[in-house]
Amino acid sequence: MDKPAEMSQKDYVEDGQNKLIIKCKFCGSKILDKKSAKYIMQEKELPFMQQDTRKGGEVQIETINQFYHVENMYTFENIGFTHTVANHKYLSCADCYAGPLGYYEIDTKHSYVALTRVEHC
Amino acid sequence: MAKKTYDLLFKLLLIGDSGVGKTCILFRFSDNHFTTTFISTIGIDFKIKTVELRGKKIKLQIWDTAGQERFHTITTSYYRGAMGIMLVYDITNEKTFDDIVKWLRNIDEHANEDVEKMILGNKCDMEEKRVVSKERGEAIAREHGIRFMETSAKSNINIERAFSELAEAILDKTAGREADADAARIAVERRPSRAPPARACCS
Repeated sequence: MDKPAEMSQKDYVEDGQNKLIIKCKFCGSKILDKKSAKYIMQEKELPFMQQDTRKGGEVQIETINQFYHVENMYTFENIGFTHTVANHKYLSCADCYAGPLGYYEIDTKHSYVALTRVEHC
Repeated sequence: MAKKTYDLLFKLLLIGDSGVGKTCILFRFSDNHFTTTFISTIGIDFKIKTVELRGKKIKLQIWDTAGQERFHTITTSYYRGAMGIMLVYDITNEKTFDDIVKWLRNIDEHANEDVEKMILGNKCDMEEKRVVSKERGEAIAREHGIRFMETSAKSNINIERAFSELAEAILDKTAGREADADAARIAVERRPSRAPPARACCS
């Protein structure tokens, strides 16, 4: 899998928020309404959506630096939360399981959606 | 704080024996090729789904039992705050149907008295392997005064409808109680952290 390119801010961000509706790349399930999340830059490692099972158990990760920050989980239109792993829950599509689309922090109860892992409509 | 983007919030639970397809009900297309090993290995705790009913935007928070059902002891904490329960059996497995009565007892013991229930006979796409007739499902539901539906998570039959009907039944009960009530409840839950002032007045 190629390292995802950084996405152009002006196409997706307006007034520091997501300019467009956010959907699942695979099944089109609506994740966030437009202008409901804050755009932030932060470096964070996230496991790949597709794991190469030949590499035996080891989780392959990539560094992502563009996220939508969602303070209240009920801001999401549709979203899934995994069980807790080391103070995080991973976010998945609510309809098709695709993920991780981002992560949820147990301490702050804030969620972060990776721009490169969702569809902008 | 950002303005509230919804009117009501309902917590729903999926309950039933292992293998009846609860997780498949939670995720419509869970066995298709999008399934990623990473997410399915960790497992899903709950999901949030937004529905619109009678002009109200409703957030459903739907919980899976996380395998607790194997020990037949769903804890009280799992039931806490639940407003609706989907009680699921597998139409191709007699035991899962017999266990519905046990689950109903468990719900009576642990869940809120006015929790809205619905029985789902899942896997109705597997007609050739059926051992529990639809009539028996309807009969047990009638006996307990609960709604009933046959579903197939695999063929996506009645899944959306089941959640909408359950949500609608809860909406009927909660009519009048709006999002403000939800905010009030959160405030009450936070009260323990304000304990010091209360102590001060007693000293």
